[in-house]
Amino acid sequence: MTPRPVLNRSLLALAGLVLLGGGLLILFAGLDIYRRHDLVPPTGWPLTTPDDVLLGSADRARWSSQGWLWWPAVIAALALVALLALWWLLAQLRRRHPGALPVGGTPPQEGVELRDSALSDAIATEAGALPAVEHAAVRITGRPAHPRTRVALTLTPQASPGTVLDVLCEGPLQTARRSTGTPGMPTEVRLQVAGHKPHRAE
Amino acid sequence: MTPDSGPPGPSSAPSAHCATVPPTKEPDPTERNVSSSNLKAGEDDRGHRAHRPWSARRIPAAMVASVVLVAAGAALIDVVAVRAGRPAAAWRRHLADELATRPVDDIWMLTGAAVAAAVGIWLLVLALTPGLRHWLPLCSPAPGLRACLDRDGAADLLRDAAMRVPGVSKARIRVRRHRVKARADVRFRDPHQVKDDLTAALGHERDQLALASPPRIVVRVRRRTH
Repeated sequence: MTPRPVLNRSLLALAGLVLLGGGLLILFAGLDIYRRHDLVPPTGWPLTTPDDVLLGSADRARWSSQGWLWWPAVIAALALVALLALWWLLAQLRRRHPGALPVGGTPPQEGVELRDSALSDAIATEAGALPAVEHAAVRITGRPAHPRTRVALTLTPQASPGTVLDVLCEGPLQTARRSTGTPGMPTEVRLQVAGHKPHRAE
Repeated sequence: MTPDSGPPGPSSAPSAHCATVPPTKEPDPTERNVSSSNLKAGEDDRGHRAHRPWSARRIPAAMVASVVLVAAGAALIDVVAVRAGRPAAAWRRHLADELATRPVDDIWMLTGAAVAAAVGIWLLVLALTPGLRHWLPLCSPAPGLRACLDRDGAADLLRDAAMRVPGVSKARIRVRRHRVKARADVRFRDPHQVKDDLTAALGHERDQLALASPPRIVVRVRRRTH
């Protein structure tokens, strides 16, 4: 698994925990659950009774009377959060392409490289010519050292997915493996079937 | 009319199909070694057991990132403006006043808190579940290769197989992750016989799909004379 899903999921979980915690904090105090069930919140707990407000006057006074270092620190923290959010957003919009793949092993000083688009076009052409394949689209993603192939096939209604997968593995993917010299390129294949009306096939 | 608990004969066949695929790759130790050195540990055993692919969760991540970006950016601009001597923006004064005057048992505070908690639970579910429920994982013929089949595509293929059974005039297939429900209208022949044929045909077609976890097949037939 590439790091991006892990990052996305960790940050989503963090955001979810913050929202859930904040919401539950307000709900517990607002519905007076502590008193009804004889729960004693620890000392310093922010919200305990239904009359509490989120932004008390004591808080406002404390924040306003902080020293000169306080506001630059707030500005720096906000700028950092905004920049990280911008970077996270851009990471979703960008798809990573390896550009050129080294051919025949890792040393790039040999100078033999293959454009990722050439490789994906070659795989797509060969896969599209397979029997029972109506359309093939191939994308190479990842870094040059760890390229990944994504193959999306649209099958004809007469296809058998297991057979197509075997043929794809023996044919185009084998060729790609042989021609790039990277034997274990991780590959993800997604199969769809061309939509068609039900009919009595005699 | 009664639900059937799967085909009688070939129900063990699909798992046998999956199990026979990896050993064909075993006798070639050099290729295994080369490939496993290039792969991460988690990807190597997908050749043996196909898991559902995990979604990258791009869209929820982009939405959360946008919200955080807008909130932090607006707060940043306003804080800087106040430090530069200008008055605070109206939204900030309004927000601070509301937060300072509304107690937490106010209906708006409670609604907002409940919505926030629900969104938080939803984000946690998104973070912890694989997603991509629409894609059924397939038996992988080689290590490092992962394949999955669209649910609608599987339903179309199964429907075609059902339509090839003599006597079936109309077939509707619903594919779920662990169960396939087939409902067929029978125009001629004995419905029980058609049902047996249909179960066998669907079981055969399901094995053709090479799904990693073959779903159970439930067949219902209905006599339709006109």
